[in-house]
Amino acid sequence: MRLYKKEGNSIQILSAPSDDVEKGDYLLVEDTTINRKLITQVIDVQFAAVPGLLEELLRDSTSEEQIYGEDFDPLGVSSHINHIQDARMLICKIRGTIQNDTLRVNSSWLPSRSKSGITKIPINALLAHVGCNKELPINIGVTNDGSPLSITAHDLDGRLNIITGKKGTGKSHLSKLLVLGLVDYKATVVVLDLNGEYTGLGLSTKGGENQYSSRVHVLTPGANFKVSLAQMGLSVILKIMIHALGLPGTSTREFKHIWKTLCQQRNISLEALGEAIKQSGGNMHVRDALFSRYYSLVNSGFFTDNEESATSFEKLFEKTKNDGGALVINLKDVSAVDRQIVLEYTLGNLVKLLGQWKLKSVFLFAEEAHLYLRETYWEDIVTRMRHFGLFTNFVTNQPDTIKENIYRQADSIFLFNFTNGRDLETVSKAARVDSETVKSIAQELPPHHCLLIGKAVNDFPVMAKVRALDIKTMGQTRLFFTEVMD
Amino acid sequence: MIEQLNYTTTPTYNLPPSIEHIQLPQTFIELSQSTMKNIKSRYLQPNQAHLNKPPTNNIADATPIMKIQQPSTIKTIPLEPTTNEKPVIAVDVSSIHIGETQTGELCAIRGAIVWKQKNRYKYQRIGPFPFHITEQNKKEIHKLFKNSHFEFSETPNTINMQARMGNLLERMLQLSISCSAYSTIILWDGSMTAGMLDCPVDEMSRLLETARNRLSTVLAFSKNTNLRFSGHKLTDYAKKAVPPCLLQIGNFPAVQGSVLLLGDIYVAKLTRGVCAFRLDIDKKVPKEQGIEAVQCLLGSDLLVQSYPETLRLAHIYSTFTATEVIGIQRFIAHQYSLKIVTRPNVRRMLFGPFGKGGEAKQ
Repeated sequence: MRLYKKEGNSIQILSAPSDDVEKGDYLLVEDTTINRKLITQVIDVQFAAVPGLLEELLRDSTSEEQIYGEDFDPLGVSSHINHIQDARMLICKIRGTIQNDTLRVNSSWLPSRSKSGITKIPINALLAHVGCNKELPINIGVTNDGSPLSITAHDLDGRLNIITGKKGTGKSHLSKLLVLGLVDYKATVVVLDLNGEYTGLGLSTKGGENQYSSRVHVLTPGANFKVSLAQMGLSVILKIMIHALGLPGTSTREFKHIWKTLCQQRNISLEALGEAIKQSGGNMHVRDALFSRYYSLVNSGFFTDNEESATSFEKLFEKTKNDGGALVINLKDVSAVDRQIVLEYTLGNLVKLLGQWKLKSVFLFAEEAHLYLRETYWEDIVTRMRHFGLFTNFVTNQPDTIKENIYRQADSIFLFNFTNGRDLETVSKAARVDSETVKSIAQELPPHHCLLIGKAVNDFPVMAKVRALDIKTMGQTRLFFTEVMD
Repeated sequence: MIEQLNYTTTPTYNLPPSIEHIQLPQTFIELSQSTMKNIKSRYLQPNQAHLNKPPTNNIADATPIMKIQQPSTIKTIPLEPTTNEKPVIAVDVSSIHIGETQTGELCAIRGAIVWKQKNRYKYQRIGPFPFHITEQNKKEIHKLFKNSHFEFSETPNTINMQARMGNLLERMLQLSISCSAYSTIILWDGSMTAGMLDCPVDEMSRLLETARNRLSTVLAFSKNTNLRFSGHKLTDYAKKAVPPCLLQIGNFPAVQGSVLLLGDIYVAKLTRGVCAFRLDIDKKVPKEQGIEAVQCLLGSDLLVQSYPETLRLAHIYSTFTATEVIGIQRFIAHQYSLKIVTRPNVRRMLFGPFGKGGEAKQ
């Protein structure tokens, strides 16, 4: 390999066809005379622009159709000609320089063309060199060179992460892997499971229990996840009424008044609330508005007056306090309005518990959050809530549903394949990597391969094949022809 | 130690049965091997100039030019394509200057034979054969020429040697084809002018005679001719001619000094278009038979701009592309442990952007 060109933070390396270099690999350009090294990553592999190639190809293309023949080449010169024809140009991005064993994020140094040696660096050696934390490892899978790749649980702690890629590429699988990785280290994880995909986290591939069975708690609203109004503070019920059920301002004032009265009477229940609304004087329209919201609460099936069957969030988190655990809120088959009610309750309570230091911190995994999180929640989660100890991981196949400012604040992005240019354009707005890297590598990622960007890999983008998990796969698409095929 | 190369001595080509026994002279391969083995240099200075322009010297293009001094007549012979299809076979050879070493010049030579039979074209490329021509091995090379009946009165300089080597391979391939082909139209690139250093009369006559004896007819097409008649280029007279036709140049002198024309000279305008070519047909073939061969060519081969496709392909397959030149340079550097160095361009150094001339050869 020879250094050919440098433009800005891009360099081009001429490579022989026999060189085992792929997209995503790291190369070290080393100038031994001055003990300086350039760390570069291959983001594209192109054919070298060799003069005369067009004539060569035109000549060969004729032979395929009507002309054929053979070469008498006793010296074997043609192998060298083929070598030139297949010469490759590696388009690389400079990730840093090493001078006297110190890493610097600097791309201004120009190595010598004639004296520089170029070698491939194993990803793990690179990550070790740049000082990746080896504590609390979560094994993600294997890198291009076949070596295992781990991130540390610290990379998810106090961080905002995004897992994105097109449908069927393995986003949820990685998300599950991270959830279980965190549970391994006794962390508390809340999963907002839109399609019931995480409900099998506690089951092995064969359907039996696995090592996580006792630590995975699946909560299905209306079934084993019901709450009583008495558990709820005013702030949480107001969020539900305003944000999930769209209660107007005047009616909200009346609702507050009713709620405070019930609190004074120490009689907060669905039945009492309905009676209080009925008894309330004032505007008939306000009463109608309150009644319609009240019936929404009742019909959701999420609320109960039976304190024994009501789920206590506090008690739930108690279970996870010592050994960690995952609370999977199964939102499958829950209507959009009910989903919002459940989410407003869950998040409201989480913030309350975190604010009261009843919980140290919680890792939140939100699948397709745009479908149930209101606009104002995004910034709230990213900015305010992380200070309370709520660390969010968004999982989406629609990257444009996440605002640009969230990408810019993301600490790590786990990027799966995208072919759509617009999607890649959106993701490339992440400040932690150049858009060329995202566009070039993500477009060609095979299924179950992801590009790790950001703090999780010390800002050295790494491609990895995500490892398999011994958990029951849920959320598979129901197929019409399955039985016919069987 | 330089690795001994393995050479195949007698290749069996996938040629039609009549010409499949063509044998490449072993001496030519051995000479290539011998000259390359004795490279006493550490450096190879590649010929950079060739990479940005058509690099190949086609051997026939170097054919000397004769001028018509005496008044002649021009007769138009209309042609009719015949349905009697015959195999058409063409040969062409190219040479290229590859670079320099501390002791000599490096060049490569490649030949191509293309034949058409039953509406399909087949080709056989022979080479490339690299040569290292030095003052020391010129005698050895000269000996090969002598053995092949190409004797020069004076030893050519190293630069001319490249063209001579190419010509030698071309004549060898032509001879092989003449010996192997039967009742075939043989197309040469160039003319039938003999008596020059690399076209000895006896050898050329032998080639034509061998072909005649095997009922084949040799047609030689020249892409460039400076033959002039009343001040005009010979091929210009074909502008108004209705194709397909031949313009026969009458009373043409057969001998001019030591140069002998072994063919009757025609201007061939075989298709519509702006191009016409000088066509030499073996003098010893009866005129009618020669014209019949051209008519047979019209019926047997595809012609574009009056030029036979078989010959065009032979040219294309023998020509070196820039990629191939780099590949050959790499082969030589790799095989003979030479370091490729680029010497500074003196003209560029002296004259800057005005130093464009002579880049091919400093």
